[in-house]
Amino acid sequence: MLDRRQFLKLGGATAFATLFGGCEKVQRKLIPFVIPPENYTLGEALWYASGCRQCPAGCGVVVRVSEGRAKKVEGNPLHPVNRGKLCARGQAALQALYHPERLSQPMKLSGARGSGSYKPVSWEEALSLLMGPLKTVKTEAPASLLMLTEPMRGHAGLVAGRFMKAFGSPHRVAWDPFGPDAMITANAAVYGVRDLPEHDLANTRYLLSFSGDFLETGISPVHYAREFGRMRGDRETIRGKFLHFGPRLSMTAAAADLFLPCAPGTEGIVALGIAHVMVRDRLTAAASAAGRLSDDLSPYSPEAVEKKTGVHAHDIAAAAEEFARNQPGLAIGGTAASTGQDGVFHCAAVALLNVLAGNVGEPGGVSFPNRAQAFAKYGAETPLLAPPPESGYAGMRAALEKMRSGAFRMAILSGATNPAFTLPPALKFVEALSKVPFVVAFTSFLDETTSLADLVLPVPTALEEWGDDVAPVGHAGAVTLCQPVVTPFHDTRSMPDVLIAAAKELGGDPAKALPWGSFRECIEKAYGGPGGEMEKALQRGGFFGESLSPRSAPRERKTSFPAARERDFDGDPKAFPLVLHLYPSVTLYDGRGANLPWLQELPDPVTTAMWRNWVEVNPKTASGLDLAEGDAVTITSSSGKIAAHVAFNPGIAPDVAAMPLGQGHTRYGKYANGRGENPISLLPAGETYALQATRVALAKTKLSTTLARAAHPEGQWKVKNMM
Amino acid sequence: MTRKRTHVVLAIALLSLGLLLTTGYAYAAETIPQPVAFSHKIHVTGYKMSCRFCHSSTNKSQFANLPSVEKCMMCHRSIATDKPEVKKVAQYWNGKKPIPWNKVIDVPNHVYFPHRKMVNAGIPCLTCHPGMDQAGTAEQKLEFGMGFCMECHRKKKVSIDCWTCHY
Repeated sequence: MLDRRQFLKLGGATAFATLFGGCEKVQRKLIPFVIPPENYTLGEALWYASGCRQCPAGCGVVVRVSEGRAKKVEGNPLHPVNRGKLCARGQAALQALYHPERLSQPMKLSGARGSGSYKPVSWEEALSLLMGPLKTVKTEAPASLLMLTEPMRGHAGLVAGRFMKAFGSPHRVAWDPFGPDAMITANAAVYGVRDLPEHDLANTRYLLSFSGDFLETGISPVHYAREFGRMRGDRETIRGKFLHFGPRLSMTAAAADLFLPCAPGTEGIVALGIAHVMVRDRLTAAASAAGRLSDDLSPYSPEAVEKKTGVHAHDIAAAAEEFARNQPGLAIGGTAASTGQDGVFHCAAVALLNVLAGNVGEPGGVSFPNRAQAFAKYGAETPLLAPPPESGYAGMRAALEKMRSGAFRMAILSGATNPAFTLPPALKFVEALSKVPFVVAFTSFLDETTSLADLVLPVPTALEEWGDDVAPVGHAGAVTLCQPVVTPFHDTRSMPDVLIAAAKELGGDPAKALPWGSFRECIEKAYGGPGGEMEKALQRGGFFGESLSPRSAPRERKTSFPAARERDFDGDPKAFPLVLHLYPSVTLYDGRGANLPWLQELPDPVTTAMWRNWVEVNPKTASGLDLAEGDAVTITSSSGKIAAHVAFNPGIAPDVAAMPLGQGHTRYGKYANGRGENPISLLPAGETYALQATRVALAKTKLSTTLARAAHPEGQWKVKNMM
Repeated sequence: MTRKRTHVVLAIALLSLGLLLTTGYAYAAETIPQPVAFSHKIHVTGYKMSCRFCHSSTNKSQFANLPSVEKCMMCHRSIATDKPEVKKVAQYWNGKKPIPWNKVIDVPNHVYFPHRKMVNAGIPCLTCHPGMDQAGTAEQKLEFGMGFCMECHRKKKVSIDCWTCHY
């Protein structure tokens, strides 16, 4: 037993040991750099301006760099596209920079093609592996070189375009899954301008959206989100009203004053219904002048439109009246409206409303500034620097045919568009690429496409690279300059740099066409070199000075009536009762963001689901199929079959099943792989990239996974109350 | 064991507790070993180099940085290359490794001490680092208690608001 004395003694000793044990000095280290980065001050942050390349919107960014490390990406307050704002995808550029799976050195194939086993090689060896076949192809059959990239803008596009021309191959294909082809074709027909319009949301009083997705994944979501905010709250007495027509309550639709659901593929018919009322009742000056349209519009009375679309006739009449009374008004179409063979019709019908409202070229309306003005000095080469943002689906299909027939002896791949993932498997891209004897890929990550290459060349990420850019909309005449904000972490070389070096080695025409020592030199020559103007522009993030005079759309022309075309759904309605509605993910876009955990963990704004894909169905439809929230279902189309979890969306048409794109990767690293299946595999190999023109059937099944949600679905709406 | 010795043990325990609570950070009286026996005396007194040549961020940042290995090698590629300590630096340089210095001077985490403000106000380095010009590797001769800071702040009639340094 302890007596009092021993207890005190032990207690004292313990206290002593505890106190002095804690005093033992842990030596802290101070570790300076071996070679410090440029402009480096310990403990002080520097902000560098550059351009965002996480999607094609072309925002400007500023990056906080401290101790030579990029710490935070924010919007550039001076940049006309995003004015200091930035979306989650732009913020996640940091994770691409520091990604553990980034390629740090060139690799050559060490197993069978497509096996994904590679051996690291030096740049010298990699370049000799590239130049061998390139020289042979140049001398024997230069036209058998294929270059397949994302749409390239700025001088990177110039370098790639000149290289291919000087090489002697016309086969330069650019692929963007969400390129607004239909809208551009429709604009050519209705406005007479073959380009994207600027929608002046900020000054409009009445906004009609036909499946518009301008707040989430449209052409320039950050730009339009800011403009939308100005439309709603920046004017003393006017708060612009916003009506949304579409088959699904999307994030954009949820921001509307009134969401009027319509049947899938009928957006254009609703627009014509509104046009019918405007012309019939001579609601605007332009509509009165367009009296000759009344014959064409006569079949689209509100009552007839109601039968086809499910939108009530009185809603259509009221929308037409309000739209006409509250000028300037604006009508916008979206991805859903512009997909499929009928996309041009829907976009043209929406454009017709703008013409009838008389807002073309007016404040609060539609205008067409000349994007290419900044590059006018390049003359005929201007389209290389400011190409129209078309998807190139047709070009892609043509290229696939040629690949299959063995017309290509070598292919150069680059970019984030990942055709092996974003093209329907029914098109057999992988099989076609295997017919090309030698494939080189420029990339930062191995994915479904780049892992099919013979030689993989690592490129710097956007934060480590020189470049320039002109945004598709909202640029107001600006040219964005991109500069490395950190010293490149890995032994990487950008694609234009390698092309310039390759041209030099090829000699002759290619060397003459690309007369620079490096891509940086090309940029510096183009913008007046270091010192002077370019230095100031780099500090600001680009040239923002000149504002563009809008390229006026021809006024006095006969507006052609859009030839009505019904959506041609793939699949038998009896076997496949639901219409599949695929939409770009707010976070993962076309799937390129799926390897970034920041984007994976970001809840979808409509369903709050994350880390996996899901299928949205109306609770009514689900109850008919005996499905509960989170249940697993198989989704079957005539072209494929996948499984996913169910998420209820009471704002979706009962005959529609919607899925976000972006998940279902199999070879895109540990964060992207095995998170559901790719819904693109349900699409047929049609003539258009028909994201919303396929019929599917749902059937209950079992999955070992669950769907993670940020909020409990019951907390959002009581399913019972919806019935 | 006697009751007296128990009291002694208890007294020591209480005393040390009191010491810890009042002084906060005990300053390092002993010289802290460093990977390279750098001599401040040779560089500062001998060659009349400015402190800010090596500690270049003192007027720009809250931290007085340590020089990069590259900066040492600017001169020591050709100067005193036969000296054993310089050879050590060259070894780090050739191996592309940083020199892992041990921290000598520190203030507690609850103090914000911006070197920049002091240096730009014209306070000589030796005010707080006396004897550094005569030292070998860095030594801390003064105890940075709050009183030390306050004395100077009062004399110079600059802010003695709590939030100036504790935030």
